[in-house]
Amino acid sequence: MIKLEHIFKWYNVGGARSFVLKDINVEIAEGDFVSIMGPSGSGKSTLLNVIGMLDEPDEGNYFFLDENILKMKSKKRSQLFQSHIGYVFQAYHLIDELTVYENIETPLIYKKFSSSERKSIVSDLLDRFNIVGKKDLFPSQLSGGQQQVVGIARALAGSPKLLLADEPTGNLNSKQGEEIMELFKQLNQDGVTIIQVTHSGKNAEYGHRILNMLDGQVK
Amino acid sequence: MIKNYFKIAYRSLKKNKGYASINIIGLAIGMAAAILILLWVNSQLSFDKIYPKADQLYGVGSVEPSDEGLSVWFSTPKPLAKVVKNEIPEINVVSRRSAAKGFLFTIGDKKIVAGFGSFVDSTFLNMFELPVLAGNAKTSLQAPSNIVLTKGLAISLFGSTDVIGKTIKIDSSESVTVSAVLMDIPSNSRFAESEYFLPWTLMEKMGYSDENWSNSSVQLYVELDPQVNLEVVQQKIKGITKKHSELRTENFLKQINRQYLYDDYKNGVAVGGKIEMVRVFIIIAVFILLIACINFMNLSTAQSEKRAKEVGIRKVIGAHKSTLIWLFLSESMLLAFVSGIIAIMMVALLLPSYSNLIGRDLSIPIGDVQFWLSFIGFILLTGLLAGSYPAFFLSSFQPIKVLKGKYVQTQQKFNPRKALVVTQFVVAVVLIISTLVIRQQLEYVQDRDPGYHKENIIYVAESGDIKNNIELIKQALMDSGIAASVSRTMSPITERWSGWNGFSWDGKDPNSIVEFNRQSADDNIVETVGLKLIQGRDFDLKKFPTDSMSAIINETAARTMGYKDPVGNYFNDGEDRFLIIGIVEDFIQESPFRSVLPTVIEGASRWMNTIHIRFNPALSTKEALSRSEEIFKRFNPNYPFDYHFIDEEYAKKFDETERTGTLVTVFAGLTIFISCLGLFSLAAYMAENRTKEIGVRKVLGASVLSVTKMLSKEFVILICISCLIAFPVAYWAMYKYLSGYAYRINISMDIFVLTAVLAIAITLATVSFQSIKAALANPVKSLRDE
Repeated sequence: MIKLEHIFKWYNVGGARSFVLKDINVEIAEGDFVSIMGPSGSGKSTLLNVIGMLDEPDEGNYFFLDENILKMKSKKRSQLFQSHIGYVFQAYHLIDELTVYENIETPLIYKKFSSSERKSIVSDLLDRFNIVGKKDLFPSQLSGGQQQVVGIARALAGSPKLLLADEPTGNLNSKQGEEIMELFKQLNQDGVTIIQVTHSGKNAEYGHRILNMLDGQVK
Repeated sequence: MIKNYFKIAYRSLKKNKGYASINIIGLAIGMAAAILILLWVNSQLSFDKIYPKADQLYGVGSVEPSDEGLSVWFSTPKPLAKVVKNEIPEINVVSRRSAAKGFLFTIGDKKIVAGFGSFVDSTFLNMFELPVLAGNAKTSLQAPSNIVLTKGLAISLFGSTDVIGKTIKIDSSESVTVSAVLMDIPSNSRFAESEYFLPWTLMEKMGYSDENWSNSSVQLYVELDPQVNLEVVQQKIKGITKKHSELRTENFLKQINRQYLYDDYKNGVAVGGKIEMVRVFIIIAVFILLIACINFMNLSTAQSEKRAKEVGIRKVIGAHKSTLIWLFLSESMLLAFVSGIIAIMMVALLLPSYSNLIGRDLSIPIGDVQFWLSFIGFILLTGLLAGSYPAFFLSSFQPIKVLKGKYVQTQQKFNPRKALVVTQFVVAVVLIISTLVIRQQLEYVQDRDPGYHKENIIYVAESGDIKNNIELIKQALMDSGIAASVSRTMSPITERWSGWNGFSWDGKDPNSIVEFNRQSADDNIVETVGLKLIQGRDFDLKKFPTDSMSAIINETAARTMGYKDPVGNYFNDGEDRFLIIGIVEDFIQESPFRSVLPTVIEGASRWMNTIHIRFNPALSTKEALSRSEEIFKRFNPNYPFDYHFIDEEYAKKFDETERTGTLVTVFAGLTIFISCLGLFSLAAYMAENRTKEIGVRKVLGASVLSVTKMLSKEFVILICISCLIAFPVAYWAMYKYLSGYAYRINISMDIFVLTAVLAIAITLATVSFQSIKAALANPVKSLRDE
């Protein structure tokens, strides 16, 4: 599903290159569950952003579903990613002005689903994550764990093949974190490919394999 | 999708109530001001365009050479109408119009002195097609015994509009029958003052008409077929007066709906006129709206940090840049819409006093679809203008940067927000300077010596039987001690009714053509109105019966004639020869903003139509008036005692300028207010943006005062830049404005200094609140969440 070849990313600091990613070669198959670990500044979030195309590498090849992404026009690329990738953030990043229901619905609006389709998809998700009773609440009225559940529901609304999670449990207590990880496990069993960045060894264990990063390189 | 946009827009506004209300108030005031100005502009631009055939109707103008170049006016001799119609085949329909005033209308026992009306040819209503309420417009002015009333006059005379066939006695001689009733004539018509129309044939019957080519006193209108070549007609009409008279006058046609706006002529060429004021106010409207929109832009982009996260999330979950642009635009549209509603309510509320202020009857055309369409267009335009920059600015954030909290406002040298503030204050400063200059000019001219006394003097028009009993009236006024002095004149001393360029005197250059004002008086004019005698003496018919053929001239006339010793010399007015018996200082009959023309006051042999009465200073004005009324009632029983105070009439000469001054003051005030709203919130934003910096500075030992100074300094610099840009613009604009007046101030540098001080003071007052607030904040709080 994903194939990264010789990916480099750097910043120019006073004439010298400071590498954030250095010759990354990774392959991830469909249905995989990968945890990326490493200390702060090792480049794990940057790698995740490159995979999710929120950030562009300076060099290298990136094949997503056998297509060379970096050679694509940006509009086509963002379409491809929109339809296949869902994002979960450490800080949840829900839109404060929207209710739970509307937050989950928003990506569907952008994907131009009809209103009846949206209604059925959002209802399904609310059911599945057991948050029907909270659908009219605003994010500020929810606990962190509940917000992250909404964040995951929103990421899944477009039924992505790939879920990218950047420290999804970083802002949660251990019990909430565990629940979220159980949810990920369940999703993976349902066929969603998951890549997560995490600090916690315990959470990393949920993955099928672990990529350890240090100074921009996969060890 | 749209519904979703508006829902989000609504919630985001609700969440930021402070910003939203400043935005809405600012925008609503700006829109209301722009609407008010545009309503006036529309009424100006639509002046005389209300007639269905307006494009085919032309007024006949006259142009004649003088020492000052070609002069242009729009009145013609009465016989020109017939000649034009007979000799120019392209012109089939013509109508003259002459003012009618002061008639006594008698209906049964009811007596009313009618206001303004018009004598017109029978074709008049076919040409101008004024809307008819009752009767047949085509035939209503054919017989000399007809009269056409407006609705308003019909109601005030008869209490109803169902008045066809009713009879009115005019003065004591003529009886006329109402043949048609017109709708009231709107204020954007040149005939707005006319309450009734009388047939030209009646004017002839009453003996007011003449075939004199040198009496140029009526308007002449012609109608051309659409396919007629105007140039051909212009060529044909050019020499027509010369052909039939010994005058040097040439004629031309001017489309009637261009006469009002393009009314300024220099050397025979139209060089603008009222249209310039219209343009200036369109610019002011655009700027006020722009300033309100700039506030919006500044406030929206100032909130960018708050909105950045939202933009990032939306982009990550699939929003395109264009989607986000629409999102932000719908927010600004929603705001503009709410502001628009508030604005139109403000307009409705302010319209009566505004109409009063500008002297034009304006209304919101509630039933007019076109008005509402343009109103909606106006809202959309405002929303777009205000929202486009923020929309593009906000939607261009990179999600990765804003979501990772790496979004930092870079300290740019050139910040568009600052440029916008400078723009606002350039406009504000220009308007402040304009206000000050216009006020100064007004005061300067108001202080000008009119050359006569204004207090305690009235004039009365010689209506009805006054002319017959004039000597008795004068005698009674003097004997009873009401009047200190009485004098008959042609026109009120504050008005010029007659002028001519055909005066001659000994030693006059035969090629020189100079326009003179002509006034006349019987006795004691210098004493009665307090003219300032330089040389010679006042009229005194008792002592010198020959004074009826004498004249008093003003200084400018004396200079123009060039006699070494004018008193004792003569000048000729046509066939008549007048002895100069006195010279007075220049006095202002026309506009006090202009220079005074050479003026002659001819003696008692000339036509008189006005009595000036200087009251006995020992009497109170009230008593003098009531006792005068008794006398006039005795000798002129059918007419009410209709008097005017000289000082009040003189003050009217400033109405127009005062109006302009007030308008500019009001709009300058609004501009400053809106700009300050923006400045206030921008200061809030800047303070917020620099919380961390302020915190660090305070931890390092900065005092509240030094932080306040630091924050305020930036704004003061912006205002100084605005002043530097605004000064030359304002100087140029005011130089142009003042050059329209012959009697004017010089623009003093004080005004600029005063404006700069004022602008800085306003700025400091506005931003210091935010600066002090930021400086007082506890640094621990601002540094903690970093």
